[in-house]
This record gives sequence, C-alpha cells and structure tokens, in this order.
Amino acid sequence: MKLSYRWLQQYIDLDLSPSELAEALIGLGLEVEEVEPLGTDLSGVVIGHVLEVRPHPNADRLTLCRVDLGSGEPVSIVCGAPNVAAGQKVAVATPGTTLLLTDREGNRQPVTIRKTKIRGEVSEGMICAEDELGLSDDHSGILVLPDDAPVGRPFVEYLQQQGLTVPDYRLEVSLTPNRADAASHIGVARDLSALLDRPLRRPEVAVPEPGGEAARQVQVTIDASEACPRYVALLVRNVRIGPSPLWLRQRLAAIGLRSINNVVDVTNYVLHECGQPLHAFDFDRLIGGRIHVRLARAGEQFTTLDGKTRQLPEGALLICDAERPVALAGIMGGENSEVTDTTTNILIESAYFDPSTIRRTAKALGLQTDSSYRFERGVDAGLQRWAAARAAQLIVEVAGGEIVPGVVDVQMRKFTPRSVTLRLPRLAQVLGTEIPSDEVRRILDRLGFEPKPEGEALRCTVPLYRPDVHEEIDLIEEVARVHGYDRLPMPEAFVVPARVSDEPPAQALRRRVRTLLAGFGLREIYTNSLLPREVVRRFVPASGTDHQTDASHLVETLNPVSAEMAVLRPSLLPGLVQTIVYNQNRGQQVLRFFEFGRVFARTDRPDTLVPGFAEHEALILGLSGPHAPEGWDVQPRLTDFFDLKGLVETLLDTLHLSDRIALIPAESPEPTAAYQVNLVADGRVLGTLARLSDALQEAYELRAPLYYAELNWDAFAEIAHPAQQRRYRPFSRFPEVDRDLAVLVDRDQPVGPLLETIREAGGELLRHVGVFDLYEGERIPSGKKSVAFSLRFGADRTLTDEEVDACVEAILQQLERRFGAQLRR
Amino acid sequence: MATLSMQEELEALRHAIETTPIDSEEEAEAFRIRFLGQRSGQITHLFKRIREAPPEERPRIGQQLNTLKRLAEQRLEEARARLRQAARPRTEVPDLTLPGRRTFTGSLHPLTQTLEAIIRVFEQLGFSVAEGPEIEDDWHNFTALNFPPDHPARDMQDTFFLHQGASYREAVVLRTHTSPVQIRVMERMAPPIRIIAPGRVYRNEAVSYKSFCLFHQVEGLYVDRNVSMGDLKQVLHLFARALFGEDVRMRFRPSFFPFTEPSAEVDIWWPLPDHPEGGQWMEILGCGMVHPNVFRAVGIDPEVYTGYAFGMGVERIAMLRYGIDDIRLFYENDLRFLEQF
Repeated sequence: MKLSYRWLQQYIDLDLSPSELAEALIGLGLEVEEVEPLGTDLSGVVIGHVLEVRPHPNADRLTLCRVDLGSGEPVSIVCGAPNVAAGQKVAVATPGTTLLLTDREGNRQPVTIRKTKIRGEVSEGMICAEDELGLSDDHSGILVLPDDAPVGRPFVEYLQQQGLTVPDYRLEVSLTPNRADAASHIGVARDLSALLDRPLRRPEVAVPEPGGEAARQVQVTIDASEACPRYVALLVRNVRIGPSPLWLRQRLAAIGLRSINNVVDVTNYVLHECGQPLHAFDFDRLIGGRIHVRLARAGEQFTTLDGKTRQLPEGALLICDAERPVALAGIMGGENSEVTDTTTNILIESAYFDPSTIRRTAKALGLQTDSSYRFERGVDAGLQRWAAARAAQLIVEVAGGEIVPGVVDVQMRKFTPRSVTLRLPRLAQVLGTEIPSDEVRRILDRLGFEPKPEGEALRCTVPLYRPDVHEEIDLIEEVARVHGYDRLPMPEAFVVPARVSDEPPAQALRRRVRTLLAGFGLREIYTNSLLPREVVRRFVPASGTDHQTDASHLVETLNPVSAEMAVLRPSLLPGLVQTIVYNQNRGQQVLRFFEFGRVFARTDRPDTLVPGFAEHEALILGLSGPHAPEGWDVQPRLTDFFDLKGLVETLLDTLHLSDRIALIPAESPEPTAAYQVNLVADGRVLGTLARLSDALQEAYELRAPLYYAELNWDAFAEIAHPAQQRRYRPFSRFPEVDRDLAVLVDRDQPVGPLLETIREAGGELLRHVGVFDLYEGERIPSGKKSVAFSLRFGADRTLTDEEVDACVEAILQQLERRFGAQLRR
Repeated sequence: MATLSMQEELEALRHAIETTPIDSEEEAEAFRIRFLGQRSGQITHLFKRIREAPPEERPRIGQQLNTLKRLAEQRLEEARARLRQAARPRTEVPDLTLPGRRTFTGSLHPLTQTLEAIIRVFEQLGFSVAEGPEIEDDWHNFTALNFPPDHPARDMQDTFFLHQGASYREAVVLRTHTSPVQIRVMERMAPPIRIIAPGRVYRNEAVSYKSFCLFHQVEGLYVDRNVSMGDLKQVLHLFARALFGEDVRMRFRPSFFPFTEPSAEVDIWWPLPDHPEGGQWMEILGCGMVHPNVFRAVGIDPEVYTGYAFGMGVERIAMLRYGIDDIRLFYENDLRFLEQF
C-alpha cells in the first residue's frame, strides 16, 4: 500500500519529517518499506509567459522560446516539448534549480539546471513538465497553467494557493492482514492521532438518508446475502467527463496511480482516503436501471474493463443489471458499463463484500486490485453511505452535475459493534508493566473504541472498522503498540526454572556423531527433502520387491509449484549422489560427505504421529575418490569398501557399540547397491553399507565408485543411547602375551567365520584378534591363501607359556577341523 | 702435627678432585683409580689413616672424607654422561619443510553451526529441546494455532499438501513452520513449559536467491503463571546479545501472527559501511504472547497461564552471520562453499 505524506497531512497536524513519520508508523505496526521523495525544492521555479516560439535552426524537434519571467528582459529557452506555444503560462526552472529528471534508463536523478548552449543556441532555463516538478508522472508535454497565473511569481506560492504543497513523499507500507482499518490515509491518520494525541480531521460530508428520489430511480436486489451483506447506490446526473484538476492528479500520482478521468479519479481518491472501494457505473448503460447481485453460474465468462475475458471461478460474485453482469464484485468493473468520455449519469456503488469470497475469486483469477486488497481484509461495514456521499460531493466539484437526492442502501445483515472489556490489572500482567489508566483510555478513545470505565476495567465498543478485535487480548495489543513496544521495560533478573534442560537422546548423540564424522574428514551437507519424480524413479523400484521403499510407499506432494518438488525423499541416497555429481562436475576429486535428515514413507502402521505417513531421521555417509590426501610418500589409490567399513567400525567402537551391532553381508542387496553389508542389532537391520550399483554409477557418470552407509538414526540411537551410560570395570594389571598365527585356507574362504572360530576357541584368555596379513601368490600352493592373525592373551594372573601354547593349539585345531586350515610355517 | 697435616691433605685432595680434567674415557678411568680405587685410591687411603688422628677428631674427618667421596663420584658420573653424549652419533634432521602426512579435513554445515549457536544460548537459559514431525496434520499446523479456515496459508498456493480430505480439517501438509511443535508439547505436558524446537519447514514457493522451498526454524515457547511481554523482550534481547554481540541494537515492532497476540517482529541494526544511513534494520524473528485461543485448543486455561512464543529462520541468521547473499548456496553443497565453514 502506498501513502502520500502530504495527503496524510490533510487529516492530522503532522510535524514529523517523512523519515520520522516512517519510524512512527513502524512503531505502530505499519511496516514502512520505503520512503521515496517525489520531487525537489522548487524555489527556483517561477511562472513564465511564453512570448514567442520559433524552430531551432539546428534541430528538428527543438524550439526556441522567448519567455517573460516578470523580471525585465525576456530570456531564451530551448524547449523539446511538442505542446509548447506562444501565449502559454508555464513553469520555468531558472538556472541553479535542481530537479529530479528521468534519465535514459528511466531512473529519476537530481539534475541542476544551468545556462547553457543547446546545439548552438543559448538556453537560460527549462520549461517543465508535471513529472519534472514532482506533481505527477505525466511527461507528455510541458505543464500549461491557466491564463490567470501571475507571471514572475514563484511556482511554489502559486501551488500553495491551489492547496498543493511540494515536494511530496511516497511511503510504501506493507500491511499485516489484520489491519484492514489502516488501508487508507484516514485509517493511518487515526493511528497517528492516537500516537500523537491529536485530533483526526475527517472531511465534512452530508450523508443522505436511505430512500428518496435515488431509490425510485435505481432498483437493487441481492441474491447472495452471504457474499454481499450491504449494497449502497447513489446517483449523480449531468456530469462532464474530462481531465482531473491538478490537485487530484497530484494526489493520485503521489501514490502511483494514473489519472483516468475526473469521475474515475474521484472514486480512486475516496478509496485511498477512507478505505472504501467504490465503483462508478455509466448509469445509462445499466439495462433497466437495475442492480442485481448474484453468484456466478458454472462456466460463466466476463470481460473486465481491462479488456480481458475471464473464466469465472465457482463462487465468484457478480454485479448485474437487468440482463447481464456489469462488474466482478469487489475486484474490477466491466467493459460494458464503464465510464467513458460521453457518460453523463453516474451510479456510484459502495458495498460491503464478504472478505473470503473476494479473496478466493481474486486468487483464483490471479487478479489483485486496490479494491480486492481492501475487501479481502474486510472494509468498514458502517462506511458505505459516507463514502458514496463523499465521492458524489467530489464528483460534483470536479465534473459538475447534481446529486440525485436520497440513496439506495440494501442491508441483508445487521452489523452491530462488539463490546469488549479490558481489565487494567490483566493489561499490566500481560505487558509486565503498568501503563497509567488515563493513557490507556486516551489511546483507546483516539482509536475509536469509546472506552467507559467500570471499576478497574474499561468497557469498549469495537468500531466496525476493526474486525480484527475480538477479545481483551486484542485491546491489550492496541494499547501496547500505541504506547510503544520499545517502551515496555525488561525485568532486571532472568528466572531460570528449577529444572535442568534436557535433550532427547537421539539428538545428543547426533551432536556427538556430527563432530566425529567431521573429525573423520567428512563434510556435512544439507540436501533438498523434495525430489523430482524421475530422480526418485532411478533409486526406487516401481513395485514387486519386498523393500519398504518401493514406489507405492512414496509420499508425493499434491500441488508442487515445480516438478522439482514432486516427491518426498524416501532415502538420503539421491541427495548424496546429486551432491557427488555436482562437485565431480566442478573438478572436485575428494568427495566425502554426510547428512542427517528426515526420510518419508506412506504406511499402514497405526502408531505414527500423522496417520498414513511415517518419517524418521536418517544418517548417510558417502566416500568416493582418493583414499587419502595426496602426499610425497603416499601410494595413490581409490577409496574402497574397507575404507568405509573401517570408518563405520571406528565410529561403532568410539560409541562402544562394537559388541551390540554386527556387520553382516546382505544376501539380497537393495537395487541401489552392487553389494551390501547390513548393520544388525537384535535381529533388526539398522542400516546398510554398500557400493553404489554399477547401473547408477553409469547413469550418473560417476568417475569413481561411491561407497555409502545409510542408517535409520532413530533406531540406531535407541540401541546406542544405553551404551553411552558407561560403568568402570577393573582391568587386569598382569602383562598380556602376543602371538601371531598364519594359516593357509582355500582362496574363496571368507575370513569372517575364521575370526569367529578363533574367538570362540580362544575363550576367555583371548583378549583380541586382528588380521595383519593376507597373501596369495607364488610362495604358497595355488588355490590357497595365507591369513595371518595377531592374537593377544591375558588373564587376571600371569599366564605361563604353556597355557598360551595350549590355547593357540586349540584355536589351530578348530581352524583345521572346520576349514581345513594348515599352519603356515 | 699429624692432624694438621691430615687437614691439609684433605684440602689438597678436594682441590685435586675439583680441578682434575676428565675429557676422555681414559682420563675418567684414571680419575676413578686415582681417587676412588679400592686399593690405592687417595680417598680410600685417607680412610685407612683415620685412626692416626686423635679420637675426638675422627668423626669430623670421617664426615669430610665421605663428602669428598660423593664429590668425586658425582664428577665422574657427570663426566661419563657428557662423554657418552659426545660419543653418540647425531640424529639425522629430515627436510622439516616437507608437508606433513594429513588426513582429510571435514566440516559442519554452516546451518548446523548456526543452529547449534542458537540452541546453546537458549539451553543456557533453561530451554529444553523438542522436535516434531515434518509431515503435519491440519490441527497441529493450522487449526490449533488459531488459523481461520480461510487463511491464505491453507491455500494450495502456499503450502505443500500431501492429502486433502472432504474438509480442510483432514488435510495433511508439510509443516509450514515449527509452531506445531508448540501444540504437540502443550498437548502432552502441563505448564511450566520452556522449550525450543528446531527443525525443517516447507513453503510451496518457486526457488530464487532469496527463497527456497524449505528452510529451518527455531521455535521457542515459555508458558507459566505471570509470563509477560517484558519477559519476552528480555529473553530475545539476551539471545541477540549472545549471538550478535553485547552492543547489538534491537527493535520490537508490532506485527501479526494468528497464534500470538500481541505479536511483534524483531529487527537488529546491521551496520553496512556502504549504506547511506550506515546500516539498516534486519528482521531476525517473529514473536508474541501466546494467543488465548491456542491455550484453549490444548486445554490450558488462559486466565491462569500466559506465555510467549518466538520463531526465527536459521538461514536468515546464518546469512547475516556469514554475509551469504543467496539462500540456494545452503542446499547446493558446493565444496568451495562448504570448506569455508
């Protein structure tokens, strides 16, 4: 919404500068986004009389003017305007004057006028157009003043005689949806009157009583009482359509409106003055002299006055005459009934339309107008007759004609002001400070709430222009914002509850693991939870598998603005792969990432927070590229599965989970994996470690294989959390004994079962087993491999060599028996 | 005379022990034999002659001899250590300017770092962390938060819908703010309540440098007897000072949210050297006193309890903290961006 600084001054004494005004409005909750000066100091502009005009000898489009400025010798001025002519009274900027002129790019820049030569001819000033003077945006030609304008008088003085003050400032205000009352100059002035404790000056208007001659000439019927509870119509006859006077054009230009003609300009003026949208119909074009308000029929079309034929949405409200629609109620008038140059009789419509009806229609049509902006917030249901009468009065002033006595006022619903009581102790309690009761009364009074003291309370009547005020708390806000939020004191001490703040275990653990993973050289990423359908399709089988995440479990958005946001991610893998591709394509080689985030699925499970939908926190790690940073003695190789597995094992070790969570090769890997190991606890799969499938690696043109681990973080945390509660266990202080054991087994014998057997056979004495060498080659029989284990033994006493030998022997026997292993000597 | 000469001999011996040079293994051995030798060492020799002295002086002489013996042993020990050190081959010094063997560098996302900074402040002020689902129903996301049935946020244009039923109340959406966590917490806990709820929220908007289809919020809620707007101002002032510095300038201006009344937006003054006014006000959060209708929706008596709530955008604060001018950078995950944090 745009406001004019000078226009506001019509309704209240304002001694604030434009920027002080902006600050004041912001403090009141009216957010001023911009203050724009619309002109400059015009003290160097005087009224001149064009004595003579002749063509410029060296330029076709320029003319040479001799202009009398009332100070002796006439001056010569080169002028480029098409409409300059001898005999005109004009505004002349004399040398030294600074004006805001539009440059080639269309930006307004300050330019100082100087005595100069233009194509060889002397020019001692500039004859100004309205936009150059900051009066309007009209640049079609120079401003031609009436013949009686006094030559030589400062132009500013002349404007003041016409009731115009320059320069003006435009304030761009962003209104919150609750402040319907402030969508006009009077509405904003009312807030200022409460803030500054000064009277509000509303224009004097003679408001006619319903009925009279007007009611005999116009018939109004309403067939949609919900959508149109009140409709006021007033007639003005014998007007002369023409251009608006300068004062009216200046006001409209100040808020960025184009002048149309005197009648339409008045309806716009009154809208921005008091907030009531009006529409002027050419009464003679309304068939039958009738107004009929009804809802649009299915499939109905209508041509609005911008010339566009629109398909009307269901529930749109129409203003019709005896035969056809003539306006889209509250949004835009129709081409078929608009005021034209030949119009003589005017019907002024001033109605109350239901806010949500107008909002839905405007939104469906993608058509927001100054009118719909106000109706959808809710206009003052008590203002319709006043606004119509105000417009009629101004139309007669600027376009002549006479007001037909009386007015049509059809009310389908009675609007009665609410009564709300404000308890002063409650006010003090909510705000945390006591505001003097006479200040409270004064504020509410200036805002129109007519407060009446009742003990320690004020009984208030909520004016119809405040549909947002329902209960006591709303009045508290009114008092608080006028008193000033910044003036509410803060307590000196901060009270902390007698309870320690806690954190859900999954979250505390997430904090820790984040730091660990960053320490392991992974970079945290945040990827989009919403994915295009074709991306998800690459990762999720259409159907027919036993995986939870087949396509039938995908959660889709019903109405995304873009197909990029069609599906909620069922896994963090697509985001990881996209991040890898993005960075690979920008020349990066070290691709080590992790992400925490929610993943989503449709579900039949009965225990989810929102029935039908499941979500959980997940963690993904991804490694691709070199296994270590380059170095002067580092043998380069690509990272592989065991880099990932080692990282996960280290993480599990750090969290004391190695004996709670097992890593077990998956018999049937998911479709996204070439091979896969599951993280299993208590028979439940918490996550997977995998190499990305060849098909996906190819589809995304990944230059190196991607290894990833994805965990159900909620399930993982459930297992991991108890393991974080540590208890000290006394450890043996006796020395431990190390032995190595190398065995030959068949080449395709997995090492895992050997390790298990060793642990089993080693029993209590075996404290640790590791694999320190793996060899195949010439020095051993073909078809065999050598696996070397490091064993460490210990007990709560000093072990003898004989005991350790016996234990190693037992291990070897088991390895021989189960796997045919032979000791490698 | 004998004792006198004994005393003189002791002095001479001390002088000899202190001044005899020991600069080689051979000299060390000679030193040992000369002074400490079992058979003919000078100290040993004097010990044997102790009985020549008068009985009353013998203890004193014995003491002096023991001191000399320790002195000799000490000199010998020092000299041998020095000689061993000199004999040891020198450690070879590698090229100390070669780069070290490194591991990879990791990092936490700037949004995580910002979120953690925010959470830390409020945890110190006694707030507990709560979380809620990103898929929400109409009740928690809208109705219980006092959104009227025809509020624009319920329109398909602004909110991602996952399910639409016959009535707006059956809708399932991607939560548009973290405020539904307020409702979930108040539904299961009685006051006093003091929580913050961080999380991801969604807006059905076209992506541009200043808006993304999702972002992150931190919601705060405090409900107790006699909670006032002064308390709200105070906690947010503490927060702004903790995050943006002691001398941060802050502004509360009236605003509107369905679930708070009175409502406010909070700006901080952001100095910008190139700006004509030396800086500008930047909005960092929205807040207000919990609307009585919200309390009614969760069965808390608004006459007994009052409360405040606030919500801030993590991206916005991160953009201010780090001087980031395009929100999409957070989700692009360009390594050249990530490695700066």
